[in-house]
Amino acid sequence: MLGESVLYESVSELAKRIESKQLSPVELTESYLARSEKLGPKLNAYARLTPDLALEQARAAEKDIHRGHYRGPLHGIPYAAKDLLAVKGIPTTWGAKPYVDQVFDYNATVIDHLNHSGAILLGKAAMIELAGGMDYMYASASLQGEAKNPWDTTCWTCGSSSGSGAIVAAGLAGFAIGTETWGSIICPSAFCGVSGLRPTFGRVSRYGAMALAYSMDKIGPMARSTEDCARIFAAIAGHDALDRDTLGIDKAAFTYSPAAELRGRTLKLGWLTNAWTKVDPGVQRSLDVAHKVLQGHFPGMKDAALPDGPWEQAASLTVKAEVSSAFAPLIQSGRVRELADPSGRIGGYVYETVSGADYTTAQRIREILQLKMSALFDSYDVLVTASQPVAATPLDLNLITGLAFPDPLGGIGNLCGLPALSVPCGFTEKNLPVGIQFVARAGDDVAVLQAGGTFQQATDWHRKHPKIV
Amino acid sequence: MKENQDHKFSRREFARRTALLSATASIVPAGIMLPPEAFPGASPYAQSADLPKLSAESQAEADARFELVLSRYGNRLSEEEKQSTKALCYSLQTTLEHVRSYPIKNGDVPALFLRPLIDRNRAKSTTAKVPAASTNKP
Repeated sequence: MLGESVLYESVSELAKRIESKQLSPVELTESYLARSEKLGPKLNAYARLTPDLALEQARAAEKDIHRGHYRGPLHGIPYAAKDLLAVKGIPTTWGAKPYVDQVFDYNATVIDHLNHSGAILLGKAAMIELAGGMDYMYASASLQGEAKNPWDTTCWTCGSSSGSGAIVAAGLAGFAIGTETWGSIICPSAFCGVSGLRPTFGRVSRYGAMALAYSMDKIGPMARSTEDCARIFAAIAGHDALDRDTLGIDKAAFTYSPAAELRGRTLKLGWLTNAWTKVDPGVQRSLDVAHKVLQGHFPGMKDAALPDGPWEQAASLTVKAEVSSAFAPLIQSGRVRELADPSGRIGGYVYETVSGADYTTAQRIREILQLKMSALFDSYDVLVTASQPVAATPLDLNLITGLAFPDPLGGIGNLCGLPALSVPCGFTEKNLPVGIQFVARAGDDVAVLQAGGTFQQATDWHRKHPKIV
Repeated sequence: MKENQDHKFSRREFARRTALLSATASIVPAGIMLPPEAFPGASPYAQSADLPKLSAESQAEADARFELVLSRYGNRLSEEEKQSTKALCYSLQTTLEHVRSYPIKNGDVPALFLRPLIDRNRAKSTTAKVPAASTNKP
């Protein structure tokens, strides 16, 4: 079995060795499977492992590569997919008891793309039930129970891509796929000390993914570095006729190029001064250091401010209205009572009363906000702030009272479909990871990758790994 | 269809009741804080001290929303869940107030469905070239 040092290598590093035939995809898969079987249950990281499929794909990859048919940097790399992505013939539970026996007879487009790239599906990552769409107040709102943070197993990973965060941080797979409607990639990436990309809305097809909020759901990679995120993003991005909301061919596709990523253009960074009302001192210390690093590489960085307005509320209303439609059968049948979280059992009953007029008003505000943000991005290419104002929280925290703070950037970013990247930027005094996020204009995913890549060239926070007992 | 057999009334009736309740709410003067028991349908669930402070008009709407949920799904909810539902109705009300109070004009169109601004020309740069006098001509 391969050691931890190999299993924590980035996709880019693993790919080089796989391509040169110094590393066997079968051995890599067996090693990740063994580690996942051992540590996965301790972290509640997986919904299920798929060892038979994984080994079949690994053998096929190895055979192809030995024949000289190397497909690219994901060929032979094991990964985990959030359990809301359909995988043909394998249960896809959406993290919720009412769907525990759900099996699709087709793959999500993202899974097909990864299959085409030669990536190996190790298993389905645990998640917050229904990706938190019906509300939740405890980390235990999942079929697998609370996902434990590899850095401190008394703390949470954040959600809803909770298993994806734990899997990448614990070195259980080469990378994972997460989704975000509001915070579900950025927050787990920050809490778990991994790199996570929330792509521009419409760049990655949601076909075969559970719908929560049709106009806000996005799929993105969670990995060990910005470079890995870029490589994975390149594999999964693209127009898809099966998802009406994907952008056109020329706007959706992304081509990875290290040169373009790091030396693409001189970025104008804006350091946000009003993204959080209060930042935890441990987070602030890391943020101050990160500010200096960025100032050194982007000397033109200036303070920036988000526009004032009811953006969070408009985003919240949009999610509530759309989720109550998406899950109307579950709500109206009363099967919401089977959900694990007390909030999830009642949220839908209230949210389906949101009127069409109020929903439409939120969408009108949304259009105004898009124009305001577009104007802001005339002055800045990338906005920067803490990914979260706090580090990982205790497993038993009441999230409604204990993790309640304004998140205007989360509301704005998701309401406008803006790309965001969270990367590690330090640790608190309790050795919990701190994340910094980069947000750019819709479609300018390369800008956040360039900013994050530059930051990671100058720091090594993303190379730190937890000691899991 | 089987999933809908629990319903006490149809979707049409649901919409009618919502409209009625909204209309009832709108006749309560705004800005006056009244005790919960002053409103029709006031219930023990309205007594919680944790509920956000709302104007009388907003409180009436939140209460009406709660009654609507109770009339539809009350038989499925425990007493504790009813308390939480009440709190959620009040929380939703504050969200609605923020959204409704934002100044928008008739011509502010909705982002249905979202098209991220990538290369789309911004409206103001286009309309600025059109003479103001010509905009209202047939």
